[in-house]
Amino acid sequence: MSESWSGGCQCGAVRYRFSRKPTGAHICHCRMCQKAFGGFYAPLVGARLEYFEVTRGDIAIFSSSDLVERGFCRECGTPLTFAYKGGRGVSVSIGSLDHPEEFPPIDQHGVEGRLPFVNDLGHLPDLPTTEDEDPDTAKSIRLSNHQHPDYDTAEWPLRGQ
Amino acid sequence: MFQPETGELTGGCQCGAVRFHAKRLGRASICHCRMCQKAFGGFYGPLVTAFGVTWTRGQPAWFQSSNKVRRGFCAQCGTPLAYDFGASAIELAIGAFDNPELAPPTIQVNPDDKLSYTDGLVSLPTRQPGDNAKADEFLIDVVSYQHPDHDTEHWPPAAGFAGSVP
Repeated sequence: MSESWSGGCQCGAVRYRFSRKPTGAHICHCRMCQKAFGGFYAPLVGARLEYFEVTRGDIAIFSSSDLVERGFCRECGTPLTFAYKGGRGVSVSIGSLDHPEEFPPIDQHGVEGRLPFVNDLGHLPDLPTTEDEDPDTAKSIRLSNHQHPDYDTAEWPLRGQ
Repeated sequence: MFQPETGELTGGCQCGAVRFHAKRLGRASICHCRMCQKAFGGFYGPLVTAFGVTWTRGQPAWFQSSNKVRRGFCAQCGTPLAYDFGASAIELAIGAFDNPELAPPTIQVNPDDKLSYTDGLVSLPTRQPGDNAKADEFLIDVVSYQHPDHDTEHWPPAAGFAGSVP
């Protein structure tokens, strides 16, 4: 099997795959990306459409302007894609890729919207992990985790789940 | 306990189908766990404890991500909105607030799952307006269908948008 780069939503209803490694990883601070992601910025990486394939389910679309379509999972809400209408490419949310660590961002866009505290987040104190602080809760979550695993599956959800 | 002196604690999803109001805010955090990463499609979950939350327009849809936690989102546009672990207060997505600056995070949670490049993002070069003619050209005639950062009587506007709606 040739190399591929896969990902999907939290619940696993939508899965996608790139046949070529997406490029141009970046974070966009614009207010539209903030709100679409419920976060501080959108982390995106993309490729031309011919290298992108939805392998399970389908992506719901919100047209955030005349020019842009944003895709998400209608079952669990995970923000998935960003694409210019009529464009030749599609970007995906880096956190939805099965291996986000392979896509370190290389630059920052929409900096007019950058929140003043974003650049200091790395200096915030760390809390202990849930595993250390509350092992019972961590175990309970692990045993009942409904998140799709970080690889393609033949069937999902697993029987009996 | 963080309680802003000014600023309405309102917010909602990108399309405006779901809007919320909170009476006051507690701890704001970023959570690096893989479940928050995937739920937000991002590098971490930016969440603030919110007390007295009312859904003032529409309702979130819920995904039960484990036996202990359900996550709220807008079924019309997908914006992640809420994290509910059955306590008296829920947590809301900071970026969904009309003014996210009211909830600066004070703590990082589950640092074991932190992506190796997250702390280095601040050092990345920035693309300013004027750096990329194609990008600037793209932005000139964007008509946003995003809900504005304040409550509205009616949405979408009865008169329509200034641009053509697809």
